Amino acid sequence: MIFMADQPPESTLRLPIPGVADRERAASPLADEIIGLFDQFRDRLLRYVLSFGLSVPDGEDIVQEVFLSLYRHLQRGHSRDKLRAWMFRVAHNLALKRRNRARTMREDTGGEGAALVSLIPDPGPNPEDRMTETQRRQILLAVVAVLPEQDRRCLVLRAEGLRYREIASVLEISLGSVALSLERSLTRLARVVQR
Amino acid sequence: MESRDSHWSDRELILAADGELTARQTERLRGHLAICRECRARAQELESAMGEFVHLHRGRLPPAPAARASLQGKIDDLDSSRLRAWSGLPAWRRGLLPIALGACILAFVSLVIPPRPPVSETDLQAGLVPMSSPMASLTPGVARRATREQVCRANQEKNRDVPQALRRQVFELYGIPAADPRAYEVDYLITPALGGSDDIGNLWPQSYAATVWNAHVKDALEDRLRELVCHGDLDLATAQRDISKDWIAAYKKYFRTDEPIQ
Repeated sequence: MIFMADQPPESTLRLPIPGVADRERAASPLADEIIGLFDQFRDRLLRYVLSFGLSVPDGEDIVQEVFLSLYRHLQRGHSRDKLRAWMFRVAHNLALKRRNRARTMREDTGGEGAALVSLIPDPGPNPEDRMTETQRRQILLAVVAVLPEQDRRCLVLRAEGLRYREIASVLEISLGSVALSLERSLTRLARVVQR
Repeated sequence: MESRDSHWSDRELILAADGELTARQTERLRGHLAICRECRARAQELESAMGEFVHLHRGRLPPAPAARASLQGKIDDLDSSRLRAWSGLPAWRRGLLPIALGACILAFVSLVIPPRPPVSETDLQAGLVPMSSPMASLTPGVARRATREQVCRANQEKNRDVPQALRRQVFELYGIPAADPRAYEVDYLITPALGGSDDIGNLWPQSYAATVWNAHVKDALEDRLRELVCHGDLDLATAQRDISKDWIAAYKKYFRTDEPIQ
């Protein structure tokens, strides 16, 4: 490592304490663990449930429910194995349920490709870049919008960093189906990206 | 011996980029990519497509503090009711719970995923392996002059935009000038939130396509280190040195795990 200028002298390294928490609050280790996991996974779960075409408040509700379910799950002594896939699976099921309820009430299918637009895009460094970026986004969104639902789900879960076996577990499909879905989606996207 | 004529399929190239092939298959593919320009180009196209989608998918979300506070309140309520029930149990049964909890934590920490091998220059040239770690010779990590108080007083600066010209320089430095910039996030090795500088020696192209040691995992490490520094549990210089020397090793050290916590 290079320092741009003198650094203050080092002090003694104390042992780090795992578990992110407000230190003033007297909470159980489990509660602290859940909040630590929330800090780590909230954005990823929220982006995933928003890809179902849900509103941000609905998405936030679902994410809260995922972590409350996780609290109960661990409190009952259930397995901590594959927790990441577990959280995404619960989020997936809750999002499906919420979307179906909204459809029944409003007969409004939403359009899931559009859900990606509902996130605020990162602004480009200058207006020209922003315009090019917007055009690219629109083209890509159009491609994503017409993908079969399973392909889109695989792509979003992959974008959130899940491994194939985790995606298979969340969507309850085989590993081969995950590979096939991603192949279909990426070859379509590659065609557009290379234009 | 690999032949130029027997091209690998898109599915195989995607599986390779996602780290889903066996070590033997990966080795064979590397051998093939070394001699097959078409497959090399195709591998890069597919990785770019994934990078584009990841870029599209990641918008800025509403801030989390309100949602975090709300969750904390709900969990506190659940905790209180649990503790009330707990205090009603006989003492011998209360004694068993910490043992069970310890066993669960051990099981959680011992989750095993095969580690991804370090990235070599050959891998970079082949355009195959998603870049999880910077090359120390190109990105040693550069920190600006800042004290712990200054770092902790400032708002946490993360994912600050790197100017286009500088991003291009980083790609050129890494020998991938033709790589699609949307497939990579030009990331700070020492995050500005820990006093990292804008110097090119502190920047590297982190692939959006990495699945195991990816930007999410590094973000978690950065948050952990900043929290330790700002709570006085770790000095700033050590945090900067550890993350710049080998951020994956630093993650393992500060999270006390061999694999990203899942």
